Amino acid sequence: MFLGYLTVMMKIFATTAKELLLLLRDRTGLLVLFLMPAILVVVITLVQENVMELTGQKKTQVLLLDLDQGELGELLRKQLEKGNLEFVVWDEKRHDVADIQAAVADGGYQVGIVIPRDASSRFKKETARLFQQGKGAENKNIGTISLDLFVDPGIMAGLRSGVTAQLQMAVTAIALEAKLTMLSRSLQQTMNRRGAPREINPLDEDKLSALSRQSLLTFTESQGGSRAAGLFLFNPVQQNVPAWALFGMFFTAIPIAGSILQERSSGIWIRLTALPVSPLVLFFGKALAYIGVCLCQFLLIVLIGAFLFPYIGLPSFTISMNLPAVLFTVLFSSFAACGYGIFLGIACTSYEQASTLGATSVVAAAAIGGVMVPVYAMPHMMQRISIISPLNWGLTAFQDLLLRGYSLSAVLGDLGRLFLFFVVTVVLSWEIARRRQ
Amino acid sequence: MGEATFMKAGNSSLPASEMNFAVCAKALVKWYKNTESPALDDFNLDVQQGEFFGLLGPNGAGKTTAISILTGLFPPDSGIVQIMGMGFREKQKEIKQILGLVPQNIGLYDKLTARENLTFFGKLCGIRGANLAESIQQGLVFARLTEHALQPVGTFSTGMKRRLNLAVGLLNAPQLLVLDEPCVGIDAQSRHLIHAQLKDLNQRGTTILYTTHYIEEARELCSRIGIIDNGRIVEQGTPAALLQQSGMSNLEELFLHLTGKELRDA
Repeated sequence: MFLGYLTVMMKIFATTAKELLLLLRDRTGLLVLFLMPAILVVVITLVQENVMELTGQKKTQVLLLDLDQGELGELLRKQLEKGNLEFVVWDEKRHDVADIQAAVADGGYQVGIVIPRDASSRFKKETARLFQQGKGAENKNIGTISLDLFVDPGIMAGLRSGVTAQLQMAVTAIALEAKLTMLSRSLQQTMNRRGAPREINPLDEDKLSALSRQSLLTFTESQGGSRAAGLFLFNPVQQNVPAWALFGMFFTAIPIAGSILQERSSGIWIRLTALPVSPLVLFFGKALAYIGVCLCQFLLIVLIGAFLFPYIGLPSFTISMNLPAVLFTVLFSSFAACGYGIFLGIACTSYEQASTLGATSVVAAAAIGGVMVPVYAMPHMMQRISIISPLNWGLTAFQDLLLRGYSLSAVLGDLGRLFLFFVVTVVLSWEIARRRQ
Repeated sequence: MGEATFMKAGNSSLPASEMNFAVCAKALVKWYKNTESPALDDFNLDVQQGEFFGLLGPNGAGKTTAISILTGLFPPDSGIVQIMGMGFREKQKEIKQILGLVPQNIGLYDKLTARENLTFFGKLCGIRGANLAESIQQGLVFARLTEHALQPVGTFSTGMKRRLNLAVGLLNAPQLLVLDEPCVGIDAQSRHLIHAQLKDLNQRGTTILYTTHYIEEARELCSRIGIIDNGRIVEQGTPAALLQQSGMSNLEELFLHLTGKELRDA
């Protein structure tokens, strides 16, 4: 019994060693296996850098043309720079409204603001008129000072809403402060006329600015169902590093299939079939070698995320918790990828067929699994379809561990699905090979 | 399969009653999908232990199909196969332990060296440790590749590959060695060496089933010949007996008489 077990293990390890030797001798193939996901993760993360803007992690540049040169421009900048907007101020002597309109329309800037001439004085005048009306003066229409806003028509609706909401909040705050100031002055004048001491004025003009900014009601964001501390905000790096590592792992299915098809097209498969060894032993041996490759791929991508990204202006990738759980996820994702490769190698009849079908199916599974676009951003139907993709199971597990801070027990379902996928693909391959005989 | 086994074949531990025939095939029929005629049709073959049996036939006659069924690569649609008195359904593992197959296509990894190929296939045969090292060394000597042991097989000539292909088939010291056209595309020197080694193996007790379409090769090597055409054995016997029975002057004449002169391009 023990000897039989030992013999089987020896045959598995012999197959693994052979497979690793073949991989090491195929340096170009090995390079592609590691280079492809490495290039993808860097390029895609850089391309998606503007996602950081969309998610509020990077300041959006706002072009400002202040034709007024009064205090309104200064107030506006002070209000908005507290948020996620960064001003680029154009010289009003060299540029006009048409220039700013063109710059935004061309996509050079996402947002442009023009403060018209005399806006500050008109704003003061209209504020004063507002209080004169309040004191029973003749009812006249109060003029609204309009600032020109240009928004790039190409930007996403979410960013447009975010920026316009910030602008609206800024002008509301400026108007409120102006109204309070005017109210304070008006109150002081009334009190002076009545001989009341200055100290009893509840709206001390010196403190009005701070008073108007004092928050009385606010939202405090809490982390829903998260079970661990030290969470990371969603960013392209935390999304892309595991996502593209997963994509690379599943791409190993193609070389696995290629190695099986090469054996089948030569006399090797016939020889292997005639030897006292089960195809399952050969499959496991092969899978073991490529699981090692997948682990190395993941390590490479993590190292790129952790050490290269900061040098190219991206946030660093971090795994500060659940390292064993992350490694389990890598392991089970590798199992699934290898199982699929074995299935392709047995089910297809030529390398061309396997490489085309393999590449197409992995890219499709990556797309519907949320590697390229997050699942929540997909149409409802695609969100429902996404649960059939093994890459979705792997990615969901990674996100649960890396972003939501869940423990291993929370991702056991996804890991189970990945392992079941491996078992099903290997058993199917075995059955196909048997039937083909 | 623990001990060093290379070229030690010939001594079976099976009971004498089951030892008479190394190969016994009765009424084998095999159809492939989308074909108009069977690849094997009432194929019958008996190969006695210690025999050097040649299966001779034109292209598409059914040689490779017969070999595949006789080595358990796939089952027949109907009929019975017994190897050393054992059936594949019941004793597949045992049969594979005593069977050696040298496939027509080279069954070696081009990127591995000769030694690495022998090591891998030796381990799959269940040979371990010092015995494995000894078997590998003997295999390299047998294939005359000792000096090229560390060279990738992809750099070998066809003759070197064929010799190594044969050496790998002998790693488990098979009692029955099945060779599917092992000398295709090689030079006279390599062919001569392979022939000599096969004769030596046979003399030391290994039963050999050898397919070829080279008539001269069959005449030189085989103690008995079976001529296969259209999926069945049309004539069998020793070369001398076949010629005597048919009244033909040589085997080629007999072969063409039995299989016809039409081209076999299928």
